[in-house]
Amino acid sequence: MTGALEKELLASGATVVGFAIVKPALSDEIAHLEKAVSIGVDRNLNEDTVRSLVSLQKKAAGFLKRKGYKYLCIPPDSDRIKSTFVSKLYHLFTHKIAATSAGIGWIGRNGLLISPVYGPRLSLATVLTDAPLKTGEPIEFSLCGDCRMCVDFCPSKAITGKDWSRFDPFIELVRSVDCSSHKRKSKSMNGKPNCGLCINICPYGRKPVQTV
Amino acid sequence: MSTEEKRQEILAKLKNAVIQYDEDTSKEASKEALELGLEANDAIFNGLVSGMEEVGRLFEAQEYFVPELLMCADALYAGLDILKPHVKQLELGVRGSVVIGTVEGDVHDIGKNIVKMMFDVAGFTVYDLGRDVPLDKFVEEQMKTDSDLVCLSAMMTTTMVGMKKVIEDLKAKNPNVKIMIGGAPVSQDIADKWGADGYAKDANNALKDAINMISSLKKLKEEAEAKKGS
Repeated sequence: MTGALEKELLASGATVVGFAIVKPALSDEIAHLEKAVSIGVDRNLNEDTVRSLVSLQKKAAGFLKRKGYKYLCIPPDSDRIKSTFVSKLYHLFTHKIAATSAGIGWIGRNGLLISPVYGPRLSLATVLTDAPLKTGEPIEFSLCGDCRMCVDFCPSKAITGKDWSRFDPFIELVRSVDCSSHKRKSKSMNGKPNCGLCINICPYGRKPVQTV
Repeated sequence: MSTEEKRQEILAKLKNAVIQYDEDTSKEASKEALELGLEANDAIFNGLVSGMEEVGRLFEAQEYFVPELLMCADALYAGLDILKPHVKQLELGVRGSVVIGTVEGDVHDIGKNIVKMMFDVAGFTVYDLGRDVPLDKFVEEQMKTDSDLVCLSAMMTTTMVGMKKVIEDLKAKNPNVKIMIGGAPVSQDIADKWGADGYAKDANNALKDAINMISSLKKLKEEAEAKKGS
C-alpha cells in the first residue's frame, strides 16, 4: 500500500514523498493518527506550488479514505484557512517533524528543512493517518557540517549558527524577531517582504545560475 | 422519480456529506436542494443536522475523534453557508439570541465553536465574543443585545473561576437570563453551586447537549405545527 501511494503521488507531481512515525510529536487530540505522509514539492516560489501541494494532499487523503483509514490534512503553511474549525488543530503539528522523521532531510542552520538533493527548496504538506504505512528512517542530526554560509549572509544576523538535532527540538536556530523585522524593513523599502537569502545561498541543491 | 424520492435522495446526500466530512459534496448537495426547490429548513434539519447527530453518536462511540469532528463541522458549515440565506424565519416557539465566549485568560475555543455552530444551525442569533473575553464584556454584551442565553466556556481551572463572577454579575443585572457553562474543569456540582442554569461537561457533551437541544427544538416545532394543523 505504501508503495502504491508513493507512486501515485510522485506521478501527480510530488518531488519527494516520505512516510514517518510521528506519534511522540502529537498532542492528545490527534494522537491516534500516528503516521504521517510527508509531501514535498520543489519550490518554484509561485502560486502553483501551493495549488499542487493541496491537490496532492487531496489525492493522498482520497487514497487513504478509499482504503478506510482515518486521516487529517495539515495544509501547506501558506494555505491555511483560519476560519475553518479544523484549522484549530494545525498548530499542533509542523511539517518539518514529519519530513525529518521520514528521512527526507534535516533542519539546517537556517531553520529550514534541507534535503540532500533539493536543499531548502521544498515546500511541504503533511497528511496524518492511522494507516499501517511502511515508514522511513528518521534523520537525527544536522548534516550542515562546517558550512555557515546562511549564518554569514543573513542580512539581519538572525541565524544563531547552532546545530539542530532530533533530540533537542527546542534549540533556537533563528531569532524570529530579527528575521521578521528585516522582512518588515524590506517591505517598507520596496513593497515586498521577501528575503530568502538563506534559501538561495544554501549549497545543497543549488541550481546552476542560468545565463542568458 | 417522484419529488419525494428526490428529496430523500438529497437529504441522504447532505447527511452523508457531513458524516464523511466531504465539503465539496456538502456544497453540491445544498445547491441541488435549492435547485429542486426544497425548503432550506428541511435541508438543514433533516439533512445536515441529522448528519451531525450521527457524527455525535460516532464521536461518543469513539469511532470519530476531534479531527473528524472538526472536519464534519466544516462540511456542515459549507452547506449551511449556501442554505442559510434561503431560510424562512423559523417558527420554533423557542428562539432567541445567545452570547457566547471563552472567559478571560483562556484561549481554548474548539468546544465553544462547536456549541456556537449548533446555535447557528438552530436559527439563534449568536453573538460570539471569541476567546479570552474580559469578564465585564459578557454582562455588557448581554445588556446590549438583550440576549436570553449566555454561554461561558473555560478549559483551565485557573480561568474557570472567572465564570463565577460573570454568573453573579449577570444574575444581579438580569435575573431572567439563562446561563450555560462548559469546559473540561467544570462539573455539574460547580454549575449548581455557582447558579448556572445549564452545564456541558466537555466538547463531546456540549455537542451532545446542543444536539439534544436542537432535537427538542425540532420536536417543539413539530408539535407547534401539529397544533396548527389540527
